[in-house]
Amino acid sequence: MKFTASLCLAIAVATGALAEGADLVIAPPAEGSVSKQVGLEAWARIYEVASHPRCANCHTGPSDRPMWSGPTYGKARPHGMNIRAGESRIGAESLLCSTCHTTKAEDWENANEMPHAAPRVAMGWALAPVEAHWFGRTSEEICAQLRDPDLNGGRDVLEIAEHLGHDLILHWAWAPGGGREPAPYSLQEHVDDILIWGVAGYPCPDT
Amino acid sequence: MRLTVNGTEYEVDVTPDMPLLWVLRDELNITGPKYGCGIAQCGACTVHVDGLAVRSCQLAIGDLAGGEVTTIEGLAQPNSLHAVQEAWIEHQVAQCGYCQSGQIMQAASFLDLNPTPTDEDIDTAMSANLCRCGTYPRIRAAIHAAAKKLQEA
Repeated sequence: MKFTASLCLAIAVATGALAEGADLVIAPPAEGSVSKQVGLEAWARIYEVASHPRCANCHTGPSDRPMWSGPTYGKARPHGMNIRAGESRIGAESLLCSTCHTTKAEDWENANEMPHAAPRVAMGWALAPVEAHWFGRTSEEICAQLRDPDLNGGRDVLEIAEHLGHDLILHWAWAPGGGREPAPYSLQEHVDDILIWGVAGYPCPDT
Repeated sequence: MRLTVNGTEYEVDVTPDMPLLWVLRDELNITGPKYGCGIAQCGACTVHVDGLAVRSCQLAIGDLAGGEVTTIEGLAQPNSLHAVQEAWIEHQVAQCGYCQSGQIMQAASFLDLNPTPTDEDIDTAMSANLCRCGTYPRIRAAIHAAAKKLQEA
């Protein structure tokens, strides 16, 4: 989980789809400059994001049922209409996510204004991989998953940050529209926290 | 803006964010796809884009990206109905009929994905198509029958 020279790298991810409308900057702190305590504080904010309904609802682990939860949904419940994402995680076995969650143009910023409509982004809608199980899980459990390359898609911290920059479906969490509560902080602040946490050595609350 | 519907190419003068359903019904007078809810909750507007079921109320015409649209009017061959349409008639599925074009288009696309579905498979695929008349048992029976027809074809 160590990274060295690449830490000096600052990457500007050019994307017009950022919730903030600005380019995402991936600029990790210098190696050794972040204490474990600061890393844990960053992790606490990361957990607020990961456990937020805009993120966790589609990180349901072994279940192939996306969830509907959050302040505008009342009691948490599985996605209506008996939706099953299947092993494909895109519903290819029965009803494709894309049947309702259509793919929009990147520069169409107000595509999700209508309440209760199916959200759409500039890429295919999908449930997160089984390994990325966040819904209903504790801070310790999600932290252990996210720092384990066997469970996080083989990514180091820079690659996690880049994933956040490139995967447009994640950006939707900060601009969900339709009266839905967005994920806390901003995409840039979340990426900054990821980098702080990584440079601090990926500390988790139980370690 | 150009689009191809049921094999015919059209040119329409509309804004890119107009839903495909609006284009079909109001610009092209293709009224088989129905307006039910406008928010992908009912399935009455279902059409195919490149063979896959899509809620046409949710797809902006500007996002069609050259996809070929098929509506219920274009599902059959010139001299024969689609197997799902035949099964629908044989099982007398429709009551008021408002949701049926969406149901048939969804079922036809589903059988391409899963040619030998179980009852549970059908319920999973078709639960997002609502029928206020409650024809669900006959929908399920007709899909089984259509699957058999397609297997034997």
